[in-house]
Amino acid sequence: MMMIPAWILDVFAAIMLVVAALSAGRLAIGRLRPGADVDTAHLLMGVAMAGMLASSLHTLPTTVWVVVFVVVSAWFAWRLLAEVRAEGTAGLGTGHDLPHLVHSASMVYMFAAVNTTAHGSGMGMGMGMGMGTLEVPTLGLGFILFLAGWAVWDLDQIGNALLHAHGAWLPRLSVSQQPAVALATAGPGAVSGPGPSAAPAASATRVTATQAPAGHPGNPPSPGAASSEAGARLLDPRVAVACRIAMGITMAFMLVIML
Amino acid sequence: MVSDSAALPGRLSAGAQSAAASRLTPFPDARRWLQLGLAVIWLLDGVLQFQSMMFSKGFSQMLAGTAPGNPAAIADPINWASRLIADHPVATNTTFAAIQVLLGLGIANRRTIKVALAASIVWSLGVWWFGEGLGGVLNGGASPVNGAPGAVILYALLAVLLWPADASRDDARPAPFVAARLVGPAAARAVWLVLWGSLAYFAVTAGNRTAQGLHDMVAGMASGEPGWLAGLNRAGASLLNHQGLAASIVLAVLLAVIAAGVFLPPPLARAAVILAIALALVIWVAGQDLGTILAGGATDPNSGLLLAVVAVAYWPAARPARTPDAQGELA
Repeated sequence: MMMIPAWILDVFAAIMLVVAALSAGRLAIGRLRPGADVDTAHLLMGVAMAGMLASSLHTLPTTVWVVVFVVVSAWFAWRLLAEVRAEGTAGLGTGHDLPHLVHSASMVYMFAAVNTTAHGSGMGMGMGMGMGTLEVPTLGLGFILFLAGWAVWDLDQIGNALLHAHGAWLPRLSVSQQPAVALATAGPGAVSGPGPSAAPAASATRVTATQAPAGHPGNPPSPGAASSEAGARLLDPRVAVACRIAMGITMAFMLVIML
Repeated sequence: MVSDSAALPGRLSAGAQSAAASRLTPFPDARRWLQLGLAVIWLLDGVLQFQSMMFSKGFSQMLAGTAPGNPAAIADPINWASRLIADHPVATNTTFAAIQVLLGLGIANRRTIKVALAASIVWSLGVWWFGEGLGGVLNGGASPVNGAPGAVILYALLAVLLWPADASRDDARPAPFVAARLVGPAAARAVWLVLWGSLAYFAVTAGNRTAQGLHDMVAGMASGEPGWLAGLNRAGASLLNHQGLAASIVLAVLLAVIAAGVFLPPPLARAAVILAIALALVIWVAGQDLGTILAGGATDPNSGLLLAVVAVAYWPAARPARTPDAQGELA
């Protein structure tokens, strides 16, 4: 039986390294801003998945990764609970805590539920050296469907200029921190569609947000770096969402080949 | 006050932002939700195509297995394609997987949806022929339980029915259900009649109405499945044991009722659509084992899920109204 060609796994591993690098860059520029938890999670997942895909990128033992992602899952579960208490279940589709909770839980599942006895290779050794299969595959299919579904949802929302403007799909930043990036990302091409009247109040809020002074307490703590064009582009929320899409698809791929 | 946004490209003035916001819907409408569902299924197909089995001879043999029983004009190209794939398994399969992932992402992206849907129609027709042998429609092997008329042809059907355009611009006479928005109610109902009517016919073809025909089909699914699904197969097979003819007739009657249902007044049409969704999901879970994804080697989730999605597109609107549909114009 032929295995998946190693170069395909390497391509996915390279994508995960790019995700990790982008997330590290975002953390370096504005590490204290709200939303840093998302970048931290992306950084950890990128490194962990790259190690699972390519043995040469193996870093920490499986047990350590399980503990790491249990902690990350607990963090996003706590955040999600707070979000539901504050906003009700209506916010689940637009917040970022639910997908990150599922991403983290998927990581725990991939590390903890893999059965390598038939193949004699641990996850940490990299898939290229022989995959394990997953225990409780039905749960794996559930994760696959959610990950693929949320990747599609994210991609749809990127094109939805109103949600861009609301910042609803962005990491939960304070009003003064959603700014700019949200508005700047709503390029002309993204706002050419018709639709019903909507959200004049939100529009007003956004304008206020963009006008927040650079020294406002809610703004990123490194104004010099963040105000640079490159830094601002890196902090563009679309970068985080693109990372999430890439990770969701890669995780779905990994789960499928381990089913 | 100049904000950080001043340094970023593509910014809009406050007035433009307000105007843009006033023209857009905050959440997808029913058709967009169905398009997103189709995108998820294409994405799932793409990642399924990366399974190790697809890079082996087993994949080309699976394709070649759809040729027997078909007319030579259909079977010969299938055999040619399977030989080509057998000779170049990595290149061909990687291409197939990438195409399907891109179709999913393309449908999810509002700017590329029309291109992606058009490409998905072409791709689906190709796979229906070269990968599914026209779903067994011509070789007598088709059954609603085993995936007739071929899962992938339903992708093409959905791409047409969910195309982001409207036949009528008359807001006073909106389409009565999503599937009618492009082709109109009469054509959409005709498509429904052909689809479910053909399934009713396939349910009682010679191979499917034998005493053990359905029993063997369901019992044969259990291998390699998780315990709960294998148990469901065994329970289903036990119910169908020596009841093939009766079960086939009941199935055909249900399918015929569904086929006629969309021509009835809205309350009855809704009941028919509910029956269609329920039957499709029962077939998908108990008869198709979720497309055998959990057993490995599946290339798609099979027809049951797609039939349910098609049925949702025929759900009669409570108050027919053409909701403003941003993506139709964005695309």
